[in-house]
Amino acid sequence: MLFNSYPFVLLFLPTVLAGYFWLGRRSNLAPVIWLALGSITFYAIGGWQFVVLLLLSIAFNYGIGHLLIVAKLGPSGRRAALALGVTGDLLVLGIFKYAGFAAENINALFGTHVAPHILLPVGISFYTFTQIAFLVDAYRGQVAAYALPHYALFVTYFPHLIAGPILHHKDMIPQFERKQSKHPDPHLILCGVIIFAIGLFKKTCLADGIQPLVALAFEARSPSFDQAWLGALAYTFQLYFDFSGYSDMAIGISLMFGIFLPVNFNSPYKATSIVEFWRRWHMTLSQFLRDYLYIPLGGNRRGRVLRYVNLLITMLLGGLWHGAAWTFVIWGALHGAYLCVNHAFNALVPDVPGLLVRPFRIAGAVLTFLAVVVAWVFFRAVSVEWALRVLHAMADPSNIVLGREEIAALVMVAVYAALVWLGPNTQALMGYDHAGRRVGEALRAGRMRPLFLYAASLVLAFGILGIQSHSEFIYFRF
Amino acid sequence: MRATYTHLKRLLLASIACVLGAALLTYAIDPLQLFRPSRLAAFYSDDTRVQNAGLIRSQSFDTAFMGTSLAIHFRQSDIDRALAVHSLKLAMTGSNSRQQAFVLERAIDRGARRVIWEMDDFIFVDAADIESDPYLSVDLYRATAKGIASYLFSAAMAKESLFALLRSVPPLREPLTRAAPYLPVKFALADVDDIYALPRDFDVAREYNATKTLASFAYITAPSRRRFLGEGYDLEAMVRHFEHDAVGLIARHPDVTFDVYFPPYSILQFVAMRDASPETLKIVTDLTARIAQRLTLLPNVRLHDFRAIKQVTHDLDNYGDVIHHSPVVDTKVLKWLAIGEYRVDPKAPLKSLEELKSQVEAYRVPQ
Repeated sequence: MLFNSYPFVLLFLPTVLAGYFWLGRRSNLAPVIWLALGSITFYAIGGWQFVVLLLLSIAFNYGIGHLLIVAKLGPSGRRAALALGVTGDLLVLGIFKYAGFAAENINALFGTHVAPHILLPVGISFYTFTQIAFLVDAYRGQVAAYALPHYALFVTYFPHLIAGPILHHKDMIPQFERKQSKHPDPHLILCGVIIFAIGLFKKTCLADGIQPLVALAFEARSPSFDQAWLGALAYTFQLYFDFSGYSDMAIGISLMFGIFLPVNFNSPYKATSIVEFWRRWHMTLSQFLRDYLYIPLGGNRRGRVLRYVNLLITMLLGGLWHGAAWTFVIWGALHGAYLCVNHAFNALVPDVPGLLVRPFRIAGAVLTFLAVVVAWVFFRAVSVEWALRVLHAMADPSNIVLGREEIAALVMVAVYAALVWLGPNTQALMGYDHAGRRVGEALRAGRMRPLFLYAASLVLAFGILGIQSHSEFIYFRF
Repeated sequence: MRATYTHLKRLLLASIACVLGAALLTYAIDPLQLFRPSRLAAFYSDDTRVQNAGLIRSQSFDTAFMGTSLAIHFRQSDIDRALAVHSLKLAMTGSNSRQQAFVLERAIDRGARRVIWEMDDFIFVDAADIESDPYLSVDLYRATAKGIASYLFSAAMAKESLFALLRSVPPLREPLTRAAPYLPVKFALADVDDIYALPRDFDVAREYNATKTLASFAYITAPSRRRFLGEGYDLEAMVRHFEHDAVGLIARHPDVTFDVYFPPYSILQFVAMRDASPETLKIVTDLTARIAQRLTLLPNVRLHDFRAIKQVTHDLDNYGDVIHHSPVVDTKVLKWLAIGEYRVDPKAPLKSLEELKSQVEAYRVPQ
């Protein structure tokens, strides 16, 4: 089921909300079970055939977690339990996500014709990573025992299940245990509706609105210079509003239940370096990769060269996490290389004099954005060859069309650029403070004018009017 | 707390009011002309899969013109002049036979007595059933409650309606009409004749020439891309779709005359298959043989085959790639249709196909 669909907005969400708060008047556990069941229903509507896999994954990881937290195992037993858990998770992920890719490469190398037909379960990357983090923390002794309903809800919680953010048990389970969140808080519901409306508008009006322009670069056999740039920029903005819209909607929906989700986006295209870009883009994935891959690999503790190697490995795997194709591997490798260059630059170049800080930051932002756009070309293209064709066109200013369609596209891209660089992001607009569990304080204090409410209602209306029957999120199949 | 509930109620009610207001605006302006011909100056969109639904309802016509990207640049006025008809161009780039037959059926229901149908072999490849086709809203064409609702409750249409409203304000009319084709609005064309037509000052020689055609040939026959030549080609499925979509439609409307034509691809289209995917060429020739034999038996069909007209198909300057011909050839197509030249003789339905086969066999690609 999609957040940007009429059945979700008009039926599923109101029903689950009503049931949650109704049960909340009677018990502290029943709403948790209700929400978990609702989440499984949400998942089943989108892909019922994978529900068993999701439930098995929960049972398996909860069982391993139990061994690590409750059972009195010795160090080697704990290591074995962790190894079993992580290997099991990665094995399932590998089979479902990478078997086709592996077979494709084996076929190319050895001329064989192996063709496994395995469908990719929706959200598998997200719930697998979420649970690996849980197991690692349990092994490190950082997890208290959790009840199964709370654990199941933590994994299946529908606002995040399909496309993130990647949740952390330490952040979520205590919130599920709180009694207060089971009683409707009109302020949180109001803020949740507004944040959801902003996200819905970003997705249905902005991301879906610019999507047709992407074809200029990625569906043309030989795009011109301007078509390739406009198509690549259109995709750059489509992805931004698509993913950012989803993240906002997830936060907004969750807030209606009284639960604060982590921020996943912080105006990433305003970053002045690649390092900063990754602190602003898909923030929960960056944190996961840092805490559970980069640092265990040795991080920056083993010298500069190994640091760069670790960065490259982390980003390569991060790329592969996004999709089983060489285009994603190259995308990850590019970002790994960008990060290495960025760190080397920081280490080698002395501090910039005060007068030059601003021009330096502007140049950094432009360069970062261009580097990100180039990498997105690989992310979007159906093959490496196709990506190179688009990049080749982007580097050949001798072939310019600039006809009616291209000028219209240019106007649209300019409007989107203005929104991205000049507009405030949702959390700033709404005063969303995940760590402090605060939101919309200005609204609560009456400092926001009624105009804000009416603007929000217009955004919600256009978000709903923009709903189309065929508009999936880009991150759905990762 | 009560104040917050009031805010929430106010927000939701205001949203409902906005939604209804937008729907009302779209109904009043009706950019697609689905309910009535435009009262303001009419504007049209290049998005023909949507635009056709309104054109069929708002335009008067006696002839429907259908096809793929091979027929997309024809101008209605040229068709009318050459064939002495009152036409409606409904060609949809990249369309399949399910979509074409569905749209044609609507046009026939609204009064078309003649259909001119540019027929490619690849329109019969397997595709989504028309009832579940994500690219063509059958409900919009049928004007069902769902179709009307999806039209009225649409942010995109509300935006178009608002722009149309602004464009109707006298001081804004002229500048906005001139700017519309360059703005991100869909209903930007002031003349129905301009829907997917090339500008009148279009540089034909720059876009259609042998260099481009040969480059396209080299591209599609490169070893890494050869497999795409035969993608979706399955004779059995294609024959089934031909029977269902084309023959089914024609048989249901015996009072309508169908002028079906095979467009003049460059010879390189077939040579590419000959050299890089001979099994695909066999499917194409078998399929078109079947089509020719079947259609020439139907009393209300006139079949025209332009694929073996050597002076056109061998002159690579007529093409922008291996299949798409220039507007100069569009004019010729209309002339051939008007005088019935190259009409397939029902007594020898495979004659032109045999001629094409010999041409393909004999052709040597310029080096």
